[in-house]
Amino acid sequence: MSVQAPTAKNTTHSARRALDRLTWMLVPAAPFLIVLLIWVMATGILHPSKETLPPVTDVIASIHELAVSGQLATNVMASLYRLLLGSVLGIVTGVIGGFIVGLNRKMAETLNPVVVFFNALSGIVWLPLMITWLGIGTALAVFLIWNTVFFIVFQNAALGVQLVPEVYEQGVRALGGGRWQTLRSVTLPGALPYILTGIRTGLGFGWRALIAAELVGAASGLGTMIFDAAEYHRSDIIVAGCLIIGTIAVAMDRWLLLPIERRTVQRWGLVADAEKER
Amino acid sequence: MNLARAPHAPAAQPLPVQAGLAAAVRQLRGVKILFPFVVLIAIWWTIQATGNFADRVLVSPERVFDTMVLLISHGVLAEYISTSLTMIGIATVVSILFGVPIGFAVGANRYAARSLEGFLRFLQGVSGIAWLPLIIIWFGFTHTTTLAVVIYTLIVPIIFNTMVGARAIPEHYALALRSLGAGRLRLITDVYLPGALPSIVVGLRLGMGYGWRALIAAEMLVRQGGLGDLIFGARTSGQIDRIIGGMIVIGTLYVLIDRLLVQPIENLTVARWGVLRK
Amino acid sequence: MAATASADKIVVSGFRHFFDTEDGPVQATGMIDLTISAGEFVTLVGPSGCGKTTLLKAMAGFFRPTEGTIHCDGRLVTAPGRERGVVFQELAILPWRTVRKNIGHGLEIAGAPKAEREEKVARLIDLIGLGGFEDRYPHELSGGMRQRVAVARTWAADPDVILMDEPFAAVDAMTRLTLQEELGRLSLATRKTVFFITHSVDEAVFLGDRVLVMTRRPGTIKAEIDVPRRAAGGRDWESFTTDAEMQGIAERVLKLVRAERGLTPAEEARAVAGTSA
Repeated sequence: MSVQAPTAKNTTHSARRALDRLTWMLVPAAPFLIVLLIWVMATGILHPSKETLPPVTDVIASIHELAVSGQLATNVMASLYRLLLGSVLGIVTGVIGGFIVGLNRKMAETLNPVVVFFNALSGIVWLPLMITWLGIGTALAVFLIWNTVFFIVFQNAALGVQLVPEVYEQGVRALGGGRWQTLRSVTLPGALPYILTGIRTGLGFGWRALIAAELVGAASGLGTMIFDAAEYHRSDIIVAGCLIIGTIAVAMDRWLLLPIERRTVQRWGLVADAEKER
Repeated sequence: MNLARAPHAPAAQPLPVQAGLAAAVRQLRGVKILFPFVVLIAIWWTIQATGNFADRVLVSPERVFDTMVLLISHGVLAEYISTSLTMIGIATVVSILFGVPIGFAVGANRYAARSLEGFLRFLQGVSGIAWLPLIIIWFGFTHTTTLAVVIYTLIVPIIFNTMVGARAIPEHYALALRSLGAGRLRLITDVYLPGALPSIVVGLRLGMGYGWRALIAAEMLVRQGGLGDLIFGARTSGQIDRIIGGMIVIGTLYVLIDRLLVQPIENLTVARWGVLRK
Repeated sequence: MAATASADKIVVSGFRHFFDTEDGPVQATGMIDLTISAGEFVTLVGPSGCGKTTLLKAMAGFFRPTEGTIHCDGRLVTAPGRERGVVFQELAILPWRTVRKNIGHGLEIAGAPKAEREEKVARLIDLIGLGGFEDRYPHELSGGMRQRVAVARTWAADPDVILMDEPFAAVDAMTRLTLQEELGRLSLATRKTVFFITHSVDEAVFLGDRVLVMTRRPGTIKAEIDVPRRAAGGRDWESFTTDAEMQGIAERVLKLVRAERGLTPAEEARAVAGTSA
């Protein structure tokens, strides 16, 4: 780099870097804007019926309408409530199950075929059976979410427990630590990165399973909102609903789960296979 | 150069009795897989026999077996299965044909990769099922609708993992080959494709898992055949034997496809080329 | 080294171990008998794979030996416990605990009161020279510092015997020399019984009061060599490399170990020159 006129070169250089950083931050918005553009153009050029492709303005209007009438809040709350209930159950049972299986090789081997099979079944496949047994409503949704979250957390927890280096446990035992001590100070923190990944992934899947369940049968919630809208051919509400569902999914992941992961796991210098189960 | 040779180290001599026992145990392992299922079926049978369940709530394992035999002998089951398998097959092929090139194209550029990442995550958050009502409006209750939903679900992990796989390839591989005079096509066939392949295969495996479930869910709502249709339709007519039987078929089928088809492919690539996996 | 029964810290008798593998049992060690007296620093050298780690882990109580018994202070060893502290070769301090909490872990487990714990930990941190790093996490430290923490952790728990499995093998050469000197001083000052295994002859002779040489796999102890008592303040590398008697002992041990590798010096030289071994 030349040494002449340092100040001028520096400013252009740092200006360019600032521009780069700005671009880097704004770039994720690009695909959304492109889609928006295509949407607007398609509406303008092809003039589809409102049913087939609702204009952007209609969708925005319906979001506004839903928000104002309180319907949006009600439905979102209903869905989130079910998600919370099912997920908490799924996480607790998943962690306990994962620990039992992770710590006990014999049991892991015996149970493995069953786990694989029911994992293949998890989620929506239980719907018809569960409607017969539980009827339509919250219990059904909670079961489906539990089922989805459980398997993911369970597998990740079991994996995490198995992957804790044996040396850590031996070290603590050589300090006089008993089984309980080892569990608390070694196994649990050691498996935590995987458990957190499992929770993060599980919640994403749980949310999707919830919507599917609500679409088929529930009294309230975002899925029901979409389903009802379909009955009345209100495509604008359908699209609005979908956008909201997607936004909640992303927001939940980025602003709730990621920070939790950062605060524990990254502080300890452990890197989890965060992108494993995408 | 290995100087620490020990040419006369006594070879490991397994004692004859122990070796014989080990072989016997290994043969038993094949049977061991079925053991937990046998236990489950036994529990099922007991519950059904002792409880006073109406026929539409729970039936015996024999009833389910008989029903399935009936469906098989009339060719009905085969038809449902082939519909589902055809759907997943087409969706997989289409997703690979389009998803991999898109993944490579986007993966080539940092900004494009970053922008698409957020967008894909959003799309995944809005599951294919949420879009189903809208897609039904577009394509009606047809196989096209089902296919659209499944492709939507399958293609996202494939694009994502192709992207990730392509970007993980160390730059100097391509540079080295270019110094050998390789052109664009060569680079693709000799560096990028094999280099990203393990990641692509992982994406394929994930995608097929999600896609299979999305397929069942879509079939439940579109009702144009397929296993989802079978179990959902059976629900309305209270045929629990069909529901349970159908679920068993769905689970088994998925496990078979995964173990016999996808996992071997994954093992072939990952095992041979090892390290490039993320 | 004659020892009265009461001063025997560790007695290994008739020890031989086999591992269960898919292809049947594999012999890990040959027949081993050894005794370690209180306050001794015993080192064990042997080629890779001879079974020295197996012996140490059995002494620690991580598994029951297939044959033979191990007694510590007259009691049969059946499980790990704080009487037998272990320092491992790999990183075994917990990545989610700070330096301070790692070192104090043994005391925490033993239920020592907080004040006492903090005081001991502070003293040890001073001793190992990690002042200022008390609240860092292991991943923020260098390899040498981490091993210091591992050693301090074991020392803080005040065990009767300290078992060390090639603790400095993964540390860079320069740091290793420093750590060895520090360990020597520490063990002298605290009068601990130490059993230290290594594949480095120099390290074994430098640190030990008695050097045991192990044969190749399945290993037995083929020689015991006494090393003159360490002066107060421990040994240092400078005087060690110039001390004729020490170097003589080191050479003897080296010969014994080399013989286990199956190559005479001439064969070894040829291998070094590039003929395929």
